[in-house]
Amino acid sequence: MTPNASQVLADLAARVAANAAPDVHPAARAGELSLSALLLGLLAQMWDGAAERLTQENRALRALLSEGAGLWGETAQGRWLGELAKGVDADLKISTLEAANAELKVGLIALHAEVERRTDPAAKALEAKIWSELAAGAERRKLAGSPV
Amino acid sequence: MQEAELCARLADYAAARMPDASGVTVREIARITGGASRQTYRFVLTWTDAAGRPAERRLILRRDPADSLIDTERRVEFEAYRAFHGTGVPVPEMLWLEEGAEALGSPFFVAEEISGFQAGTGLLFAPPYVDTLPDLGRRKWTILGEIAAADPDALGLAAHLPAVAPRDCWRRELDHWEAILDSDESEPLPVIRAAIRWLRANPPPPAQKVGVVHGDYRTGNFLYDDKGQIHGILDWEMCHLGDPLEDLGWSFNPVWYFGQGRPGGLLPREAAVAAWEAASGLTAAPEALHWWELFACVKGQAIWVSSARAWLEGANRDPILVYPAWALINAQDRAALKVMGRL
Repeated sequence: MTPNASQVLADLAARVAANAAPDVHPAARAGELSLSALLLGLLAQMWDGAAERLTQENRALRALLSEGAGLWGETAQGRWLGELAKGVDADLKISTLEAANAELKVGLIALHAEVERRTDPAAKALEAKIWSELAAGAERRKLAGSPV
Repeated sequence: MQEAELCARLADYAAARMPDASGVTVREIARITGGASRQTYRFVLTWTDAAGRPAERRLILRRDPADSLIDTERRVEFEAYRAFHGTGVPVPEMLWLEEGAEALGSPFFVAEEISGFQAGTGLLFAPPYVDTLPDLGRRKWTILGEIAAADPDALGLAAHLPAVAPRDCWRRELDHWEAILDSDESEPLPVIRAAIRWLRANPPPPAQKVGVVHGDYRTGNFLYDDKGQIHGILDWEMCHLGDPLEDLGWSFNPVWYFGQGRPGGLLPREAAVAAWEAASGLTAAPEALHWWELFACVKGQAIWVSSARAWLEGANRDPILVYPAWALINAQDRAALKVMGRL
């Protein structure tokens, strides 16, 4: 959720307050308030499930990175993925979970490129798992009214 | 800048460009919401002509905000409109381009308002418009074919746009949008990075011709009526020279399906391709078009993450910059997965 929900909510609060002034042009007020309402509606959908979705995703990504570390073996890349895979989500603040998610995705991108390059069956099997998780992640994040 | 000051300064600017007019005023100025890369206003310009007769004209002001969703040169947009004005591609007439910040605080241009028609997508899928969608779709992709068929040199547009060789069109665009992702993404994007790797490993054939690429040709960027006709093609700010298939691929980006299950929410894909091929005289080879459709997902994602970046940097806190980041980044990932056959 970027920009961060807290920052956006603070901005919207100020914006709604400014639009309460009587001298705001009606068309400008309508435009600002309708956009603000749209964002609040999106936030309402994302908010409750955000921590659960992130912990699920982080767990799935760590499993992939752990498998990738084994595939890469005793190399710098393998050790890096192995370290990433050892993490746990002890702090459930959304910002902390998102920071961990971003780190894991950096690892996933590197792993994905590596298994694409390789032709051995283990790499191809892991590539298929990565694609499955990318699709599952896109499903988890899908909002009502999503155009796709 | 407050509205009264904007009106006064705009009237002064117009008066300086209308030597035969007196009593130039600006009234009924109103911001049109929805523009994330330019601030758009409609207004009425009134004056007294040299014969002493009162006159008025409905006009549009497009002004650069402090920071925007897409960083573009306003001259490109202005020249693109001007090039197509009077051709079969309907566009509003351009009046004045101001590239300095002295007059209104930031660069802008003023154009004719084509009034009385719709642009938003919210009305399209209900009566009376829903019955016109097949006609509107054929018109949409026919006009796009006419843009593809146009000669950039004959239009005078080639002088304003960087040249590109047919074999380099794909690489230039992909390099450009990947660089924007590199600089602006605020979270890693594994789906789009995989798409970029595929695009680089499987380049398309050289462009059949180097033509004018509108750059944002989609439902929502044209003015339509309730008869299935189009009266203005808008938002040329990403116009460039390139492979005409790029525009066709962008128009097929699944984020522009609006939940209707067909390109632009308007027409089955085969019918859209047929209309485009008939008007352009070009061929939409499936493999080449597939490349440009996946490229459209990369470009779309670059635009959405730029939107988030612009908001995060704080120069422009317009809520419209948050909407693409929250609503479209995952939708664009989903679109890319679908185009790659992974969802």
